[in-house]
This record gives sequence, structure tokens and C-alpha cells, in this order.
Amino acid sequence: MNLDQLIGRLQADRAFMDCVTEWRTLPATEGRYAPLPDDMDPRLCDVLRARGIHRLYCHQAECFRLAQQGRDFVVVTPTASGKTLCYNLPVVSAILKNSDARALYLFPTKALSADQVSGLYDMIEALGVDIKTYTYDGDTQAAARKAIREAGHIVVTNPDMLHANILPHHTRWVKLFENLEYIVIDELHTYRGIFGSHLANVLRRLMRLCAFYGSHPRFILCSATIANPVELATQLTGREITAVTENGAPMGERHFVFYNPPVVNRQLGIRRGVVNEVKRIAEGLLRNDIPSIVFCKSRIQVEVITRHLKECARNAYGYSGRVRGYRGGYLPSERREIERGLRAGEVDMVVSTNALELGIDIGSLTACVLCGYPGTIASTWQQAGRAGRRKDTALTILVASSAPLDQYVIQHPDYFFRASPEHALVQPNNLYVLTSHIKCAAYELPFEEDERFGGLPDTAQFLEYLTENNILRHVDHKYYWMEEELPSGEISLRSARTENFVIIDITNPAHHRVVGEMDRFTVPMLLHENAIYMHDARMYQVEKLDLAACKAYIRAVDVDYYTDADLNVSLHILDDLEHRPLSCGGDVALGELRVSTIVKMFKKFKLDTHESVGFGEVRLPQTDLHTVGMWWTLPDSLTGRFGNDALQGALVGIANLLSIVAPLYLMCAPRDINVVYQVKAPITDKPTLFLYDTYPGGVGLSEKACHMQELLLEHALDIAQGCGCESGCPSCVGPASQVGERGKADAIAILKELLA
Amino acid sequence: MADLLSKLRMLDAAPRRSPAAPRTQEEGCYRAQATFPLSIFTDLRHLTPAVMESAFGFAFPSDLRPEDILFLDTETTGLAGGAGTVAFLVGLGYFTDGGFCVEQVLMRDYGQESELLRTVTAVAGRFSVLCTFNGRTFDAPLLTSRFVMNRISARLPDVHADVLYPARRLWKLRLKRCTLAHLEEQLLHVKREDDLPGAEVPQTYFRYLRDGDFAPIERILAHNRQDIVSLAQLLCFLCGQVDCPETVESGQDLLSLARSLERRGDTAKAVKCYRLCARGDTRAEAYHALARERRRAGDVTAAIRLYETMLRRGDDPVTACEALAKLYEHRLHNPAQALSYTRQALLLLSEPGLFRSEAVQDRQVALQYRYARLRRRLCAACAKSTEKEEPSSWES
Repeated sequence: MNLDQLIGRLQADRAFMDCVTEWRTLPATEGRYAPLPDDMDPRLCDVLRARGIHRLYCHQAECFRLAQQGRDFVVVTPTASGKTLCYNLPVVSAILKNSDARALYLFPTKALSADQVSGLYDMIEALGVDIKTYTYDGDTQAAARKAIREAGHIVVTNPDMLHANILPHHTRWVKLFENLEYIVIDELHTYRGIFGSHLANVLRRLMRLCAFYGSHPRFILCSATIANPVELATQLTGREITAVTENGAPMGERHFVFYNPPVVNRQLGIRRGVVNEVKRIAEGLLRNDIPSIVFCKSRIQVEVITRHLKECARNAYGYSGRVRGYRGGYLPSERREIERGLRAGEVDMVVSTNALELGIDIGSLTACVLCGYPGTIASTWQQAGRAGRRKDTALTILVASSAPLDQYVIQHPDYFFRASPEHALVQPNNLYVLTSHIKCAAYELPFEEDERFGGLPDTAQFLEYLTENNILRHVDHKYYWMEEELPSGEISLRSARTENFVIIDITNPAHHRVVGEMDRFTVPMLLHENAIYMHDARMYQVEKLDLAACKAYIRAVDVDYYTDADLNVSLHILDDLEHRPLSCGGDVALGELRVSTIVKMFKKFKLDTHESVGFGEVRLPQTDLHTVGMWWTLPDSLTGRFGNDALQGALVGIANLLSIVAPLYLMCAPRDINVVYQVKAPITDKPTLFLYDTYPGGVGLSEKACHMQELLLEHALDIAQGCGCESGCPSCVGPASQVGERGKADAIAILKELLA
Repeated sequence: MADLLSKLRMLDAAPRRSPAAPRTQEEGCYRAQATFPLSIFTDLRHLTPAVMESAFGFAFPSDLRPEDILFLDTETTGLAGGAGTVAFLVGLGYFTDGGFCVEQVLMRDYGQESELLRTVTAVAGRFSVLCTFNGRTFDAPLLTSRFVMNRISARLPDVHADVLYPARRLWKLRLKRCTLAHLEEQLLHVKREDDLPGAEVPQTYFRYLRDGDFAPIERILAHNRQDIVSLAQLLCFLCGQVDCPETVESGQDLLSLARSLERRGDTAKAVKCYRLCARGDTRAEAYHALARERRRAGDVTAAIRLYETMLRRGDDPVTACEALAKLYEHRLHNPAQALSYTRQALLLLSEPGLFRSEAVQDRQVALQYRYARLRRRLCAACAKSTEKEEPSSWES
């Protein structure tokens, strides 16, 4: 069955259509073209023609024009719109013109760089010229590194390598820095939040070194659709940026289906589980041989769904390689193999986390199932874009979970289709991030007294602070590095903790085998002792977790359950920076928090039904996060009036409402912030609601929330009052089972008081 | 942004403010010079281009004199080797008519780095060969990096003799560790009194920058000076051993030297060394190498005699049998004798108590294969002459 037939059948299926809250068909669009530019090197034109490219999409031509004018620009186009030519054409022509010219390509992940380089190789080979393109990352052989440093025209790497390996050793890269003409940054939209702040500072360091070596490179940036690409690009690069937004590539017809699982218990507002619904829908696609991708929100979901689909796909010989899981934690070689399988058509169903959301070439999939709302509009479009490349019909089915945000989106499709995609937030001057990078910069090149890092007038204050701490030495009008160690070694761009854990399979005692890796933050959740760890649908039990050596030892098991850990969060106020009284007697504050998380227990769930079948204990030390948060301290008279239990219900309700509302106003993913409540805060003994950034040092979200707190509360009240449910549902305060029978009314009452 | 500093301090639990160091005097880099008598370099006469080539494996200028070699060692602010690691002290040693001179240049503060580097390049320019210990991966790239940072276009001498590499080839077998300190103690019998451990050097220098107390720096200078002298002595000692293997006392060192010479293609000298160490625990290895050399030279008779000696004395008899089997089969075309040696090898290998490692198993399989092939050949020959062959006992 082809996709058009399947779409017909789905639309005729009553039970399916009853759950569909929206079926949006986006018409096909024609391509818009421009001739090959006159000023492009004739050799390059010939190569393009030989590959059947006789004209460019209009945005590709525009990019070439801007590059020739020496402008810094960002090109914003959807997946599969030929964006690699937007930067490869200007870069390759620059090198054809001047064989000393160099370019630096930055991709957020290793997988992407491997993929993009292969396309560039083909073009250079067809040109028959000596343009050396190398990938420089953790996998690069030591022997090859020297050649890359000296002779690489185009060096393809990622921000982490640039930060930890290239910049601190810049004297070995003299050729590159002296002749750098272009810096290409792909997948710009991924550099938001703390990661973006880091990149902005890495780029400041890069530009500082370029100035030292006398080069003035230009930026070419590519982004998926977000609300503020130019703002983001400007913040990251510190340059004035021109935008190229008109997409000239043709697009096939696209079907976007909003699917809300049927309600199974109306009183409790419980719907059929999202994982079960996705399994069923994906199974239908699989049985009809429709190449598809399923996007999940967690690694556990990926494994649970992969396991089910593999069972369905298992042929008479027991082979189920048609279905593959894909997520962070698989080894690079395994990931490459899956990507190859997808391109070759050997794999026609892949279940992935957002790891495959970025532009890795995975061939032509025709359908996409989203297991839960990805959290952002941009991310949703990006994931949907993985299905239906170029001119074919494509189908995307968004299956909502019972999470309030999912329910809001699924029941308000217009909100999704009308709203502009999210803002990508970065705060390059985040204290924590900035201090780290000023250290790195000082290591790379002594600071002059009047120097301004990234144009910051306060640079001298940072330098004085570092001098006080004997990290720098201020002498002869310069600040010199005065420590033994390399500062970049202990600063990771991705998360607060630096080390990755290695996952070792010890099933065969004679042959221990590394099967994957995992970041430290996730380890307590997924690799605590006795956890069931799934890898490409195979089940293992964690036997031993060696925290000191960063190793987890697992053994293959055959069980019919999986585990999910319970995360305990406790919260301490370290300092308040801002303080405002509320008219109701409470107050609102902004400050620094320490959030301690600890995993104390895990639950076991049956594989097929997901029902809880038991639990176990976990003994692990806690993990601390220092961040910025805001909080509402409520008058303690509330406790007397409502009683502890009722107050708790109401606070749960308000916290739920705020978690729905805040991401919409702060333009962030729900996971970027966290809302928690305390019926009695430890020091004040008063009921308190907290909202904090989930990044070390904060990324400015709570600050913004603090300044628009009334708006947040008003919107929360609106949602609660406007919701048709009787005593709470997942789309407002949460189901009555969670907040209590009076929870909704009490929450509304308290919100009104806060706003009085 | 007045509160920025306080905010920054908050990030850190306990900010430490230390007293600012007294500003450095205007006098420029600290320089020291010391001369050592030539008498402590006993093997100096072996320092010739030919011996150096033999020791290092690459060519030196044919008119090289000891006076053309610059010995260099740096003390640095860390081992990371990135753009922020600085060589604050550079020690330079060279032979003069009357002795061995060590010049040291130390920057009293970061601002003097350019002066230090220019002093170093001015000296370095007079020499054609650079000699270091582990300088190929550490000191030389570090100084090159410092030149780039200070926009100095000078270079170190092109020919770089890093003693670490030949030292590993010659002494690793016996001494296991090949740090300069260990070699110095074991080979040159130098005992350092009150030596500053290398790991403490950076912090000692930082402390000096902060408090200006020069006394601990004296210890760094002494340490560096001793390193340079030891380096020069080690080079002389190395050349002496390579030039006159008969003076080498240890069989293991001789064996290492022989192997290194053989790899380099200096067969004549390698054979000489193998003969010298054909005694003690290196006897088996040396005989094997000598036999191998004879075999390659086509002198089958001599090779067989050597292998038979090994076998008779029980020196690695399996290898000897295997080699004899090959020689008898392929060179002397005597499959019966070859079969007999193969059987002997298999019997030796099957001795109880012998650890069956993978390597032993591989060897067994190879021998069994050889045995089977030889038997087939013999049977075919037997069939031709219509003679019956004795059944093999171990195959049943």
C-alpha cells in the first residue's frame, strides 16, 4: 500500500478519525529558481551542470550574492531545501580563487559533520582540484591531525572540539587562523539556552584569535525555522546579520494529523497511553511497508517502542533489522550503520529521540509519528520535516500524551498552526559561562588591560576577579594565565558535568564489551543498580555502577518488565537578588537556588501493558544544580484557612498551570524550566511556589518570568476558569485525582488573591 | 555593574586574595652561566656523525663536532602544552674548547618572555644540531608555539637528536623505565641531593611570582642545570656504547643494541653484538638471531649448526626444531629429516604443564599442519617406491 492509499484508508476509519482533532493538508508548493550566478567560477558551474543542476533555488543564489558582497548572513529554510549549497558554493569558490583560503565548518554533532563532508567530497572530486576537506573530531586519528592542521582547506568540526582542542592549541593552526575566510555554522537553532551561550563565547574566543593572526572571516549560518533567527545569529556572532528566508525549494503535499488518544475513564480524565497508541499506529505503517520515523521524548520510550515493533517485524528467520532504535548513548559506529541502513532502504522504521531531528541524511521516509508533543513548535516542524523529502506526499501524526501541554496543543490546533515558532534564547553574558570562557581566552592569549572580550565593558572586572583568585597574573599591562592546567579541560559546553559514563556488557566474562555511553546527569535515572537498561531493544540489568570510574556494568537478562526511576528534588535558596511585596501579603523574589536531585527508588512496569509491577531501592549520592529561580512566597494565613491537604492540592494545581503557561511566554521548552511547590518552605515556613531554570547558572528564563509574573498568573487563572472540566483535568490544574476534589476551586481562589 | 564583582565572588565559595607581588625590577631576565670540566664526559670522543647516525637512525652533518650540538631543556608552567603554557626557564648547554658551558635564562615575570626567547634564539642560531630529552614532543613544539605567540620568526636547529628514542631502544628492556632521572641514576651513577621534583616546578615558580622570594628558584635552576649536564653525559655514554659494544656489560643492553642495529640494516655490527651476548639469559635469543642471519645470507650449514647447538643446549628448542624443519624441507630437500624435527617440536610443545596460551595453540596448529603436509609428501614418495610407511602414533 502506498501512502496515498493509506491516507484514504485512515480517513475512512471511524475509530481513528474520532480521535483526530485536526487533519491539516498543506498544499504542495512550486519551486522558485534563479540562473547560475555569472560571477561563479566556470569550473564550479560545469560541475553543477554535470550533476543536472542548471539553475539554483532562489535562496541559494541569494546566499551566493551576499557572500560575494562580503556580508554575514543566516539562511532560514526547512529540511531538504538544498541548504548545503548555500555555504558550499561561496566557500569552494573562495578557495578556487585563492588556494590559501581556509574555512571552518561547525556542526552541533559528530554525526552531522560526517554526513555533510561526504557531499562536499563528491563536489570537490568532480571539480578535480586540490581542496582538502577534513573532519576534525574525537574520532580523528592522531596521525591525520597534523596534516589537517597544516593543509586542511576546509576543517569540519564541532563547537566542543573547537573549544577544547583547536583554540587552546591555536599556535599549531597558524595556517588556518591566518587565512580563515569563512566560518559556517549549520543547525544554528540548536545553539539556544546554555549551549548557545557557550557557543557565543567560543566564537568570541575564535574572533579574538583571528584578530591576533590578522584574518577577518565572515559568517554563513543556517537555521531551521525559529522566530528570531537574525537575533540569535547576531547574539551568537556579535555581527550584523542579513537574513535569507525565502525558500525556493519545491515541496510535496503534506498531511499533518493531530491525534488525541481516546478517553478510557471520563471521570478521572484518563486517556489511553501515548506509547500504546504510537505502537499501534507505527505497527500499521510497518505492516503496510511505509518507511517511517517515530520520534519519542525519552530514551526509555525509544527502547520500549522499538522492542514492540521489532517483535512485529520479525520474519520467519527471526530477523528484525528492518526496525532500529536510535538515540544518544549508542556508539558512533552503530549510529553510522543505522544511518547507512536508512539511506539504503534496508531499515524502513526507525524509532528515535530528537537525536535524528537534525539534518542527518536518512534518505526518504514518507511518514512520521510524534510520540507526544516535542515541546516546541520549531522542533515539531523540524521532526515532521524528516518525512517527505522533496516532491512526495508526506504524513505526520502527532499523538498527544496526557501531559497538560500536549493536551493544550492537541485541543487547540490553531494555536499550533498560527503561532510563530519559538524564540531561541541565548544569554552570552551568563556569568557562569562568561567567566569560564574568559579563563579559556586568557589561556589562549594574554588579555590587554583595555581589551573588551566580546565588546564587554566589564571585561576588566572579570580579569581582576581572576587575578584575585591567582588564576591570572596582572603585570606589564597584561593579564597572563598562571595555572598549570588547561582551563578548557574542565569546561564542557553541553552540560554541567563533564564525564561520560561507559556502559559495559559483562554477559560474556571472557569478553567485556562496551555497548554505549551516557552523560552523568542521566546515569542515576537509567543506570542505577538493578535498572533494566535497554539497548536496541535488547534487555540488560545493571549489575554495578562505578561512580568513581564512570562505568556501568550490565548483563543481558530476559525479563518482561522495564524500570523507571523516581527523581526526588529538593530545593534551597542561596541568595535573593530581587524582592517585591505582593498586595496580598506575600512577595515575589528572584535569586539563586540550589536544586538537589536524588534517585531513591525505581518502579517496574510490565512491558506490554505498562502497569506497575513493583519497585526497588536505589542508593546514589545526590546531584546539585546551582541555578537562578524566582518564587512566590504566599501569606501563611493560607495554611490556616485551607488546611494542609487542601493547600497542597491547590499548590499542585497552580504549579501545573504555571508549567503550562510559562513555556508559552518564555518561549522555551517545558524542560528548560521547572515549577515546584513547598507547602512549608524550610526557612520561612510559608507556602512557596518556585520556577527555576534547569541549567547551571540560569539562562535568564526565571528573570523574565519574574518580571512578567502577573501576566503568568493571569493567564493561569484564565485557563483554569475557562476550562470546561468540573474539578480539574490534565489541561488545566491536573486531574482531580492529583489535586483533590476542591483543588481546582482552591487554586482559582488563591490565584485571584495573588492578583488582587 | 558595580555589583558584578560581588556577584562573581559569590560563584566561588572562598575567594582568596593574596598580596600583590612586588613589581619586578627593571633589570630584565635573570641569566646564569656555569662551566663544567670536560673530564666528566668520558665518552666524548665517540661523539662523531657516524656514531650519532648509528644511534639515532638518521644522518647528521658530516662535519659535525661536539661543539655544534646545542643541549636544551626547559622548565614550564605546566605540561598541557597549549598556548597558555610558558617556558619560563630555558637551559642551554654546549661544549667549548675548555669545558661544557651551561647558560640559563629565566624570566622574572611574564612580561620578559619575548626577551627570554630572543636570548635563546640568538644562542641557538650558532648551532646545527639540537639535543634534548623528550624535546621532540614537548620542548621543541612548546618553544615553537611561544615564538608564534611572540611573533618571533626564528627557528631551532633543524636536526633534532632526541635522546629519549635511542634510550628506549637500548635500555627499556633492562631498566623498564626510561625517564632522564632513572637513566642518570642507573647508567651515569649520578645521585642528586635535595633535587626539586619536576612536578613541583610550576607551583614553585607561581609562588615566586607572587612573593618574589628567589631562593626556591635556585632549586629550579640547579635542577635544570643538572638535567642539561646529565643529558650531555647521556649522549656521550650512548655514543660510547654504540661505538664500542664490547664495553657494554649487560647482555640485555647488548641484545637491545643488536636488535636496533639489525633493524637499521647494520648487519655486520649487529652480528658482532649478538656474538657478544651469546651467553647468559640472552644466549637463546642471540643464537636464534645469529642463525637467522646465516640463513638469510644463504649459509645453510652454519645456520643448521647454530640451531642444532640451541637444540642441544635446550635454548628455545621448539623454535630451533621448527627452523631446522624448514631448512631441511626447503633448502636441503630432506622431508624425512624435516618430519623428524617437526615431530620433535610437537612433542616438546605437548609436554604437560606447559601453559596453553593462544600463541602456543597457534604454534601447535601450524606445526600439525606442517607435519601433515610432510607426511603426505613422504607417503607420495613412498607410494612411488612402493614402500610402506610406518603409521604415526600421535595421529590416532
